[in-house]
Amino acid sequence: MNAAAIIFYAISALILGAGILAVTSRKIFRSAIWLLASLVGVAALYFWMQVEFIAAVQIIVYVGGIVVLIIFSIFLTHQSGQDLPKPILKRTIFSGLAALLGLGFSYNLIREYGFQPTTIPFTPTVSDIGTQMLSPTEYGYVLPFEVVSMLLLAAMIGCIVIAMKPPSETITIQSIPAQDPVKGKINIKEPEMMEEL
Amino acid sequence: MFSLEGITNSIQEWLFATFNPTVALLIQFAIVILLAITLFAVLGLVLVLMERKVAARMQIRLGPNRVGPQGMFQTTADTLKLIMKEGLTPDGADKFLFNLAPYIVMIVAMLLLAPIAFAKGFQIWDINIGVLYVTAISSLAVIGILMAGWASNNKYSMLGAMRSGAQIVSYELSAGLSIITIVVLTGSLQISEIVASQQNGWWLFKGHIPAIIAFVIFIIAVTAETNRAPFDLAEAESELTAGFHTEYSGMKFALFFLAEYINIFIVCAIGATLFLGGWMPLHIGSWEGFNRIMDYIPSVVWFFGKTFFLIFLIMWFRWTFPRLRIDQLLNLEWKYLLPISLFNLLLVTVIAILGWHF
Amino acid sequence: MFIKEYIKDIFRAVKSLLTGMNRTGYYFVRPREIITEQYPDNRDTLVLAERFRGEVVMPHDEKNKHACTGCTACELACPNGTIKIITKFDISPEGKKKKALDTFIYHLELCTMCNLCVVACPTDAIKMAQNFEHSVYDRTRLTKKLNNPGSKIREGIE
Repeated sequence: MNAAAIIFYAISALILGAGILAVTSRKIFRSAIWLLASLVGVAALYFWMQVEFIAAVQIIVYVGGIVVLIIFSIFLTHQSGQDLPKPILKRTIFSGLAALLGLGFSYNLIREYGFQPTTIPFTPTVSDIGTQMLSPTEYGYVLPFEVVSMLLLAAMIGCIVIAMKPPSETITIQSIPAQDPVKGKINIKEPEMMEEL
Repeated sequence: MFSLEGITNSIQEWLFATFNPTVALLIQFAIVILLAITLFAVLGLVLVLMERKVAARMQIRLGPNRVGPQGMFQTTADTLKLIMKEGLTPDGADKFLFNLAPYIVMIVAMLLLAPIAFAKGFQIWDINIGVLYVTAISSLAVIGILMAGWASNNKYSMLGAMRSGAQIVSYELSAGLSIITIVVLTGSLQISEIVASQQNGWWLFKGHIPAIIAFVIFIIAVTAETNRAPFDLAEAESELTAGFHTEYSGMKFALFFLAEYINIFIVCAIGATLFLGGWMPLHIGSWEGFNRIMDYIPSVVWFFGKTFFLIFLIMWFRWTFPRLRIDQLLNLEWKYLLPISLFNLLLVTVIAILGWHF
Repeated sequence: MFIKEYIKDIFRAVKSLLTGMNRTGYYFVRPREIITEQYPDNRDTLVLAERFRGEVVMPHDEKNKHACTGCTACELACPNGTIKIITKFDISPEGKKKKALDTFIYHLELCTMCNLCVVACPTDAIKMAQNFEHSVYDRTRLTKKLNNPGSKIREGIE
């Protein structure tokens, strides 16, 4: 076994071990940290494969974005410092089954196609990735790219709409309550219910 | 002429001639790690002393002046005191994460050192995504802070960590966008190529007004990202005692303290590399004679000169401006810096496509 | 217009920030402005700010005379009972009885240096001195008698 293989197995062991700890830990914050370790391990695997761009994106998106969001939501929940209750047996069994199914599925795929060693040098530069991403020719990704950006735009507008107070209603709240507080209250409630419906 | 490149090359040749390649590589790793740790220690001592002296001068005081000539050994004495101090772990803290957090913050700072070009041909790892690597790794630092805040089992720490998280996550955007403006102008993410592209002038001067706007936004955003005043809400003394490191003492506190200054150094080094040409001497277009005179100053002096100028700028901010409130902080980012930097990026792209820059 | 207001805002902000930085930068490049006194070292050449208040004293002239009439205006003005005035009756040459100061007791340990007594004094008999080295081992030594032994009121002060 040469040094590259040792590094590969060490990183893989880190990913799997941290993943198992993330699932089994009884403290929710520690789970998040183990998840983080697992994701950093995946990034390390990309670095080991010398696809640095993907590794950096993995860190930015998953570690800097998603795990931070997860930690924030943990902070905002009540009693995040206490141990979680033991999971119900039924749930444990079903999640185990789901994991086994996934394992079987990927094993089946690998057994069918296998890993074919290739001699073509694999040196994608960042500009290659960018060109491919925005190329309108065959095997270019401009359409999915634009569709995804539309989706993100829609999500952003949705966020703004949810967060925004209806401007006309705020004026009624400020002006009306002095004479007619009841009417003012009704005015506030109505649009919220409309949105929920 | 003095150059670090020659020294490193001769050391490498000697190592590979004397030992077999694996051992030589390992020895090189050891040397690099040793140098990095030495740099950290020296920077910590120098920057803390510099901060105190600058603060004193700006507040019409003398600053530390008792330990050694002009108070030179003040920070050394402080470090000794911190090493001797007991590192307490509070009752009810998550001990594992509590002890892990300062090391994470420190390791992140160490990783950030890798792609920085200190002088001509003197760089640990010239990774081809240099700038992106820095952005990616620096987003890890917030994890250490959140971890410290949560594991301390203290409301001040928790509040400080959350503020710091919100702050870093939002200011990363405008810092990233202002970095991208230079990437657009250069056409490369690699640090060595970015420096090489400033052969005939620094981007701050070559890129017209958009580059200057990007530079200003970058400096503001990194000041916020390193949690320094006027954006030091995360450790606002008057409100949160010391924020996320309230419960830390002794060497673990020292690691947080050191990491703050190392991070300042690193962001200023990145700023100097992107906007002020890194180790590249001040060159003006085709003035051959002037450029040659400038080349006589060693590149390492240029690099540290620029970096320390930016550090001084950030210290100047700290001792001039009052602390922002959290809503003002987020307003500044989302209503001013982000739209301006987006518009600025558009402008720079137009300039780069039309080739209007020098 | 919104955009105009927005840009104006930015310019105003930058200008005010630069004004602040100009001030601190001004002090940074002028070490002469430093006002720190390295106290125990420069005890002989110490310069104190004019408005610094260290203790209440009663100035006496060379004939050992002060200006206090014993009116107790300062005692009444003092917010925390620092001053206690004991009066006596002098017999003037014409044989008239006249109220005069016997002892001016000043409790330094209670004094907050608020200057109200000096303001209240109608004859400017007391003033604030700048001596600040008051530490002693015994608290009773902080209770002081301000008028010198055998001192008298200056002539012509009513």
